[in-house]
Amino acid sequence: MGRAALLRSQSPAWWAERLREMLRIRHFEVRAEEAYRQGEIGGFFHSYTGQEPIQCCVVSIFGVKNWYITSYRCHALALLLGATPDELMAELFGRAPGNAKGRGGSMHFFTERLLGGFGIVGGQIPIATGAAFAVKYQGNDDECAICFLGDGAVAQGTFHESLNLASLWDLPCLYVIENNHWGMGTPVQKAVAVPRLAEDKAGGYGMKGYTINGLDFFACYEGFLRIAQEMKKERRPVLVEVLTERLRGHSISDAERYRSKDEIALLRENDPLIGFSQELIHGGILSQEEYDTIDREEKMRVIRAVQYAEKAPWPDPSELEEDVF
Amino acid sequence: MIESKVQVQRVEMREAIRQALDEEMARDDRVVILGEEVGEYQGAYKVTKGMLEKWGSRRVIDTPITESGFVGLAIGAALTGLVIPVVELMSFNFSFVAADQIISNAAKMHYMSGGRFSVPIVMRGPNGAAAQVSSQHSHCVEAIYSNLPGLKIVAPSNAYDAKGLLKSSIRAGEPILFLESELSYGEQMEIPSEEYLVPLGRARVVREGVHFTLITHGRMVAVALRAVEQLQQRGIFAELLDLRTLKPLDISTIAHSVRKTHRVLLVEEGHAYGGIAAEMAYQIMEHCFDFLDAPMIRICQKETPMPYSMVLEKETLPNVERILRGAEDLLKRCR
Repeated sequence: MGRAALLRSQSPAWWAERLREMLRIRHFEVRAEEAYRQGEIGGFFHSYTGQEPIQCCVVSIFGVKNWYITSYRCHALALLLGATPDELMAELFGRAPGNAKGRGGSMHFFTERLLGGFGIVGGQIPIATGAAFAVKYQGNDDECAICFLGDGAVAQGTFHESLNLASLWDLPCLYVIENNHWGMGTPVQKAVAVPRLAEDKAGGYGMKGYTINGLDFFACYEGFLRIAQEMKKERRPVLVEVLTERLRGHSISDAERYRSKDEIALLRENDPLIGFSQELIHGGILSQEEYDTIDREEKMRVIRAVQYAEKAPWPDPSELEEDVF
Repeated sequence: MIESKVQVQRVEMREAIRQALDEEMARDDRVVILGEEVGEYQGAYKVTKGMLEKWGSRRVIDTPITESGFVGLAIGAALTGLVIPVVELMSFNFSFVAADQIISNAAKMHYMSGGRFSVPIVMRGPNGAAAQVSSQHSHCVEAIYSNLPGLKIVAPSNAYDAKGLLKSSIRAGEPILFLESELSYGEQMEIPSEEYLVPLGRARVVREGVHFTLITHGRMVAVALRAVEQLQQRGIFAELLDLRTLKPLDISTIAHSVRKTHRVLLVEEGHAYGGIAAEMAYQIMEHCFDFLDAPMIRICQKETPMPYSMVLEKETLPNVERILRGAEDLLKRCR
């Protein structure tokens, strides 16, 4: 589909909503990082900045009513699946009305259909496979499980075991490898023996594998649209590699000594959020003023979430030992 | 007075476990059996005999040898609330291959999700020593897993408890490690033909006594009982407790007994260091310090990996002789 035809395939309001989601995620990460640096947030903190098109496209195409599973880089997915900036920011601040009552923190967000934010690299892949098993077991043929993992997780044993089981048992699971090229500070080519993480691997499991450009929202959208149609028909697992860039370090404490300032500057020039918004404006989908309004609204929403979190009560220590069993 | 006669059946422990699975599968369509060789092969220890034929491959699922994969898959399926998996581990030693899934996911997800998600799953299979299977197939896992808040640990010692406790475990709605023993599967017992449950978290007084309290679990209950019977002939009456559930620990039943007998002998098939006996001794000290007439004694597996040779295996495990020696020591000890 050409770009113009693609833009016409959805209403301007639909595209504006995607932009709003991307901006919400971006502002959330920026403000949360600020709060972290001010000492309001503790623990690990992994920003989704730069990778927004991937989960925005997947959730908008597949819909909320599926089982979602991701790694510790989980802020965006929780927002996309309906968690409010307030509850998520309160969780980061470790407060009682937080998304997980202040027990999970940055790496462990949940919604009705988000089974987690999982903290161990690759640990979430069998979980997603199990959600797909449950969907198939109950004959919920309009649903599937969607598992996000990083390029670093491809080297884990759970990746192999899960894909083997999913293919063997025809489980409707979409595995999305978000290849941001770095497993913490180790480049992917020093971690995985083949260059194409999905296309070179999928065949070994009798699955289909695709590569998608995650820096281009429209390419991402078209790619996942095709995959969604295919999964609906075939009810089989699919492995996808999305080429992306994380514009921030692995985590907030990452000094990024493994890549140069010039490299990072170049990445920022290719920020998919800028590219996407400019195409919408140039394509006549929305005006600069409309963009500014959405941007301001989402920024204010996140600022209010920070204010909410600052004032939210701390967890009551008398509830410390609840919910263990 | 009307006497109701309870219908009984004489079954092996493996059959009692099978009946629990069968009844729970009939009760709730979400219950599935999953594991290596559980279907076509009828179970490595024949616990799931006939289940594939009865329930079909939708609910009795043979897995490849991929513990991390299928245990994790079962935990994920349980998280959705759509499936209640009963995972058979051919040996609990294989649970180590899936340790991250059990520890990081099954144990922690309910708490970490703010109580939003539960993990209704039972992982069951033989634990501890069998007959000369050496170091990598003989470990008792209960001490390792009992250090993880979020897991309940159940260890039946006989067919009656195995059936009733397994049914309760499947209904519990939380992650449960159900530890059986390969050496006990063939042991027979009369159990009711009618359905019954045994509640989790309650120890059982196997033998009432006065001179000391002997506390143990799993296969060691039968070994300890032999020692208790020998002591009885010498006029020493030990009170024997079977923990049945290791976590949460039924400290109330334990304390009740210790306050009566004032002396404690702890027997554990697993290793001494950081073991279940070590934890119990601490809790008994906390709750019964002023009632103790002597320091407690524990008889555990010695601090070596399990050797193969019959002679060495017998020496490292708790046995009747070691328990009797421990009892003699205990009764000689003064405060």
